Amino acid sequence: MEHSGCAVNRERHFSCEDCSGNVSGGFDASASQIVLCQNNIRNQAHMSRVVTHELIHAFDHCRAHVDWFTNVRHLACSEVRAANLSGDCSLVNEIFRLHFGLKQHHQTCVRDRAILSILAVRNISKEVARKAVDEVFESCFNDHEPFGRIPHNKTYARYAHRDFQNRDRYYSNI
Amino acid sequence: MADGGGWRPPRPCEAYRAEWELCRSAGHFLHHYYVHGERPACEQWRRDLASCRAWEERRSAGAQRSLCESERARVEAARKHALVWAPRQSPPADWHLPLPQEEKDQ
Repeated sequence: MEHSGCAVNRERHFSCEDCSGNVSGGFDASASQIVLCQNNIRNQAHMSRVVTHELIHAFDHCRAHVDWFTNVRHLACSEVRAANLSGDCSLVNEIFRLHFGLKQHHQTCVRDRAILSILAVRNISKEVARKAVDEVFESCFNDHEPFGRIPHNKTYARYAHRDFQNRDRYYSNI
Repeated sequence: MADGGGWRPPRPCEAYRAEWELCRSAGHFLHHYYVHGERPACEQWRRDLASCRAWEERRSAGAQRSLCESERARVEAARKHALVWAPRQSPPADWHLPLPQEEKDQ
């Protein structure tokens, strides 16, 4: 985030609030703020995942002209990326949700959770949300910035950070 | 790609070894199958490791070419999908601005 010009300040860019329903968090683009739903976040692992999810939205807001409010394809793209890269759709989390599947199930989860996230913030039909996810999925599922890979666990995250620290050497020698 | 003097492998050889070993691990097989529905392909990491070592040991020009081609292919593969949105030239102007006064008062 800092490298992209959006250094994150805990007091300015995070807000802990009580939320209605079972929403865990959100990114408020108009206030440049991540909202964490203190009444719905269950434990540290859940908190880490929600923070990662919302930071991906913040990162997209920082690096691109994302039309959060009137372009459902833009919203769908960021939700696909957040579901894909935050750990929302890990095998363990899906098993806890009683969603059993192995071969390519991650992609099914990403599509479904992206649709749910869109419906939570937009008053549109499920069909419109699904169509938007379908249209952007190929591009956005394969956009792994800023990690360069899906960070399945701390090892992958560590390797991603190592690549980030090495970026100057990398791009000057290919 | 810079030729001759000053060039070095894009990653340290240790990084190629680590990527190859991660790719071949049982954990990665499971993650990759869960995401892509197929087994991972790790051969290119092994080739890159061999090229890196060939450069380190004898400054092989072939190894340099092979590594550059391999990494450029990785960059191309990561960028081949059309962007959904337009990239910014600078971050949002209001990112660092204070919150509106009425929110602060609440």
